[in-house]
Amino acid sequence: MQQYIVRRTLLNIVVIFMVISLVFLALRAAPGEFALRQAGAQITDVSSMEEAIEIVRHDLGLDKPILEQYGRFATGVLRGDLGDSFVSKKPVMLELKDRLGPSIELGILQIIVAIVVAVPIGIVSAIRQDTWLDYILRFFAIFWLAVPSFFVGVLLLYSFARWGHWSPPITNYKGFFEDPFLNMQAMVLPAVAGGLATGAIIMRFLRSQMLEVLRQDYVRTAWSKGLRERAVVLRHALTNALIPVLTVIGLLLATVASGNVVLETLFQLPGIGFYAVNAVQQHDYPVVQGVVLVTAAGLVFVNLLVDITYAWLDPRIRYG
Amino acid sequence: MLAGQQRAEAGALAAAEELFLPRRLGWLDVVGRFVRRKPLGAFGFVVILMLAAAAGGAPWLSRYDAEDWFMVSNPSYLPGSLQPERVRDTRADPSWRHWFGTDQFGRDNYARVIWGARRSLGIGMGALAFAVFFGSTIGIVSAYFRGWLDTFIQRIMDSIQAFPALMILLLLVSVTEPGLRAVAVGLGFVTVTGVQRIVRSTVLSAREDPYVEAARVVGCSDLRLMVVHILPNVTTPIIVIFSIGLGTVILAEAALSFLGLAPVGASWGMMLEEGRAYMVTQPWTALSGGAAITLTVMGFNLAGDALRDVLDPRLRLT
Repeated sequence: MQQYIVRRTLLNIVVIFMVISLVFLALRAAPGEFALRQAGAQITDVSSMEEAIEIVRHDLGLDKPILEQYGRFATGVLRGDLGDSFVSKKPVMLELKDRLGPSIELGILQIIVAIVVAVPIGIVSAIRQDTWLDYILRFFAIFWLAVPSFFVGVLLLYSFARWGHWSPPITNYKGFFEDPFLNMQAMVLPAVAGGLATGAIIMRFLRSQMLEVLRQDYVRTAWSKGLRERAVVLRHALTNALIPVLTVIGLLLATVASGNVVLETLFQLPGIGFYAVNAVQQHDYPVVQGVVLVTAAGLVFVNLLVDITYAWLDPRIRYG
Repeated sequence: MLAGQQRAEAGALAAAEELFLPRRLGWLDVVGRFVRRKPLGAFGFVVILMLAAAAGGAPWLSRYDAEDWFMVSNPSYLPGSLQPERVRDTRADPSWRHWFGTDQFGRDNYARVIWGARRSLGIGMGALAFAVFFGSTIGIVSAYFRGWLDTFIQRIMDSIQAFPALMILLLLVSVTEPGLRAVAVGLGFVTVTGVQRIVRSTVLSAREDPYVEAARVVGCSDLRLMVVHILPNVTTPIIVIFSIGLGTVILAEAALSFLGLAPVGASWGMMLEEGRAYMVTQPWTALSGGAAITLTVMGFNLAGDALRDVLDPRLRLT
């Protein structure tokens, strides 16, 4: 087990290193005159466009040999220095720190919503396989998989405004520890909108896992011992069916992070997704690059955690 | 008695033939069987056909041009007042003239949905063509040569996959000149990893097949082995990937348009974004955009699921 963790961590360091290189390459290979011009337009305190472009070039380090650029960039990232924003002139790392909270909170809430919705539905759908109840639940899963979360978000906003005469507080966002009540008001709709789509994926996967587990010998033994349905399904079948579901949840985190870019923008939550979209619109490259790096690195480590939990929960898994 | 036995045997043989050697199925039989076994999948294909018709026949089906705006006589116009006599017909409810109503610029929502199909499908096909071409090339090369090359390629793919897809898109959209082609290439790029993973796993087992070994013994070159003998194995997974992938890519394009990061035009995501401000008074623009995305993605998902079950059930959990 320890060996496995060490091996996976080393592998992840390689992946993180590649992630840094890819971001580096994307920003060096692509920006031609157009990108520089766009970025230059953000810098107002200079006399000419050429001067602004020169500043951008210098800030991005484009005026140095490529290897030196890479060395500076990589060491900077490892020291936690992601450069300064073109627009606000503040260090990107500092700005990101304040915005991580809402994003992480939203992600966790969505996963909670997804699990709360998906687990009971997945179980019922599996133990009542091929009944009308199963068909209805599966149809819902297919439906929620197809509806874009931002459409659900728009519909929720609309319904609450129209019939509930309520809309989430948009201008004064407060952190969970400052004002939990106000914070939850802002979070509940995006959490539901994003959680339902994720829940649909988990539900479909859990259902097929349950169907497989329910046909195992030890489940038949549990039945023939005369255990009640509740005990067989929840204690014998579910605990084993849930283990692979955990990996899927880990993989889904990347999807959750993607979806939240849109939901944060729609609900004006001051998270990193919203920040990134603004930065893209303003061609604020250091910020875009910082956000991409931080989310990718975060996801890599969360996935490592998921894999370790997986190995810990399922003693059969030894990973070679 | 012997004759009776013979007759019985002949009958059994005929029955067996009926059972095991059915006549060649015509395409109508195949379609009929598919509809009966996979009604949801058939529904998905109907949606895809509608989408293809809308995309291909947009100029004939749309009634109006997507960018046309319509005028009505101004209700508050009085002769001699400063009010204009005619104003744009904005945010109209559905009517015979405008089936899905009009948006805040007085453009016909139905026309925009139809033209939006052309844009969605165009970008989707472009992205998938890109993803399938590069994904299968990478997957085949990686699985065929194995060894350090495979490890190296797979680590790169792992790191690309570590990024949330939309984040890569944001990065790509921010550094390239905006255009539909850039969006399609960006979407294709994020899809490559998924395609290559499935292709690679198929090729890993196919390269051990006896006919590949035989071809190698006969003296085929690596390139010939990959293209002529291994590539055909990949067609089934690619058909399935194409169907499910199109839904995902169209959804991502809608998300980009919704964020205002894709080029302006008749786009479903943009309809949803533009209509959402007027949701309470006139929801038709946002509803038609959102419904179009939902229906399309659902169509591709259902068709893809059914295709996978029919063509290759082993792909189920990948």
